[in-house]
Amino acid sequence: MIHFEQMKPPPGTRHDAWLGLGFAIPIIVIMGGLVFVPLASTLWDSLFRIDPMRPGTPFVGLQNYTGFLTDPAIRQGWYNTAIYVVLAVILETVGGLGAALLLSRIKYGRRWLLAALVLPWCLPPVVNAIVWLWTYNPSYGLLNGVLRAMGLINENIVWFNSRSTALLLVAVVHVWRMMPLTAIILLAALQSIPQDLYEAAKLDGAGPIKCFRMITLPLIAGGLAIALSQSTVFALNLFDEAWVLAGSSLDTRTVIIQVYMSAFQNLHFSQGMALSVLTMIVSLIISALYVMRVYRETSYD
Amino acid sequence: MQSTKKEQGNDMNRRQFLTAASALGATIALPAFSKQAAASTTVSVLLPPWSTLPKDMAGRFTSQTGFGLDNQTLGWDDIHAKIVTSMVAKTAPADATEVDWSWVGQFGTAQWYEPLDGKIDAALIADLPTAKIFTFDGKLMALPYNNDFRILIYNRAHLQQAGIKEAPKTPQELLDAARKIKAAKVIDYPIGLPFSATEGSSTAWYLLTKAFGGDLFDDKFEPLFVSPDSAGYKAMAFQMQALKEGLIDPASTGLKDVDIQELFKAGKITFDIAGWAGNIAVYSDASKSKVAKDVAAALMPSTTGKSRTFGLPGAVGIPVSAKNADAALAFAKWMLQPENQIESYLALGNLPTRTSVLEKLNADGKLYEGDKLLQQAAVVEPLFAQGTPGWYPQFSSAVATALNQAAKGQLTVDQAVQQIADGAKAAQQ
Repeated sequence: MIHFEQMKPPPGTRHDAWLGLGFAIPIIVIMGGLVFVPLASTLWDSLFRIDPMRPGTPFVGLQNYTGFLTDPAIRQGWYNTAIYVVLAVILETVGGLGAALLLSRIKYGRRWLLAALVLPWCLPPVVNAIVWLWTYNPSYGLLNGVLRAMGLINENIVWFNSRSTALLLVAVVHVWRMMPLTAIILLAALQSIPQDLYEAAKLDGAGPIKCFRMITLPLIAGGLAIALSQSTVFALNLFDEAWVLAGSSLDTRTVIIQVYMSAFQNLHFSQGMALSVLTMIVSLIISALYVMRVYRETSYD
Repeated sequence: MQSTKKEQGNDMNRRQFLTAASALGATIALPAFSKQAAASTTVSVLLPPWSTLPKDMAGRFTSQTGFGLDNQTLGWDDIHAKIVTSMVAKTAPADATEVDWSWVGQFGTAQWYEPLDGKIDAALIADLPTAKIFTFDGKLMALPYNNDFRILIYNRAHLQQAGIKEAPKTPQELLDAARKIKAAKVIDYPIGLPFSATEGSSTAWYLLTKAFGGDLFDDKFEPLFVSPDSAGYKAMAFQMQALKEGLIDPASTGLKDVDIQELFKAGKITFDIAGWAGNIAVYSDASKSKVAKDVAAALMPSTTGKSRTFGLPGAVGIPVSAKNADAALAFAKWMLQPENQIESYLALGNLPTRTSVLEKLNADGKLYEGDKLLQQAAVVEPLFAQGTPGWYPQFSSAVATALNQAAKGQLTVDQAVQQIADGAKAAQQ
């Protein structure tokens, strides 16, 4: 027989539940108001024709989405964005991991090195891009100057006249700004690994590479997944660097630049919305794949 | 206890002092208070950097109209984006904003600006020839204050050093002069033209299309530049030829029109082909330009013998959702007063839009190369005879993109003009 008293929640539980709800309400309101409601609204509006230059807002179904398949400029934007993502993810992860490993081994002056490392990340993206615009300038830029001084080139190179070079250079600017974030995430993950594990592995005869593969990599898997996801999402949303360095040039144009041009330059708002929805879906899919893959490859039984 | 005479005297003095101080305070405070009351309405104005009023002009606006002035400065592109986002959200970006000639179709179709018909004196409109560029669907939607049109600006000293006696009158003469200047090693790249994927590159091609005696579209907006014997095709072929021959800096694929202006001021180019008419004031100012003594202007070269150019004026408009529409109208009118147009020209390089003011400036000897400017101003025409269409920004972007690709060698002229024509059709759908 169950006594009624046994079914009652312990004293104070209801109070705790209300307290928990009270703490959660601000984030529910903020996320709802700034993320979920605008997202739902954008999804819904992308099914209509919203163009201030045309009367009415008729329902057009998926027409805003299917129109992208035939637009060569948008295809080019996706292609460029894919290249940026690949370059950014590889360079930021390798560079960030290298910087994090280096910093984790430094005993003196680490805080100063860390401060220097995060400096590019602290700069506003536009300022960052303008600095690099001067560096790449064909007439007076630092890059041509250094290469000429080293005797590697005889005359100044117009870097953005080559499509592949232009893509690489824009990606480098983005990587320069975002790599510190990857480094910090991985440094935090590295510092949480107990040193006992390395000492035990050494006693068992494991070398540095084996230690890295068998201890470091699996134990920073969580951080690595976060770093890879943020690299992908930020590269997919690349705008400022490409815009400042080359404007709307088709060679370097990203999907987000295309969103800006469709919505704010050409006033085809619903097309811009549809394109941004697609970008968000691609971001989510790639990030989910990373997280699942990294966990599967590096987790211990 | 009775007070002594001295104390009474002291009291008197104290009272007198306090009274006088109060009176003095009131004397100082009252006008300030009345000014404050008059300036209690503040008109917010959103303009690009080259039109933002200097402090003394802003102060004069307040003292003359009684309205305070909140100057907001943004880049030209950013102003467009701010107007679009604000108007879609049904709020005003400011009480008065810049309205570029190229936005007239978009903003007019969207009905975002207050029609000004009936609010402006007819004599003033008659004195503003570029007002018709800001007329959409028969309604005046903004008042032009910056008389931008294109004119050939060149460095006289470079021509003399190469043994050239007069400014080129045809595109071919221009090309030949550039070749001579380069051959004489006066400078490396005599012709200044932008090829970045920006609006300034597009407008230079439009101008050269007119120089070759043609137009971009027929009256049904069908492209007229695809055929090799068309003016638009020849204009682009001219640009690519000059680039190929090394008469234009190969780095111009990354240069905007404002970068070309900097090169001209530094004496690094001879011809600013798509020169802003108002910029002559800046180029001839020794404090801002290294070629102040050598700058000269000429009518735009032409293959037909008749110089042609088009207007790209800037105007002030009042969004329909503006909070202080009356104060904004006062600002727009104030900008057109002769003394303010003159000061805006001398301080900022904004060429006056009023014909009478231009003539006065020239008569007073304050308009550098005034005769040439007035001659060119007399033949200014709109880029689109039917009025700027709403799809212009999309078309212009397609032009800039194709020009940029052609300049990089990624497209031939044939491919580039075809791509522009396809872009024009897509924009019109």
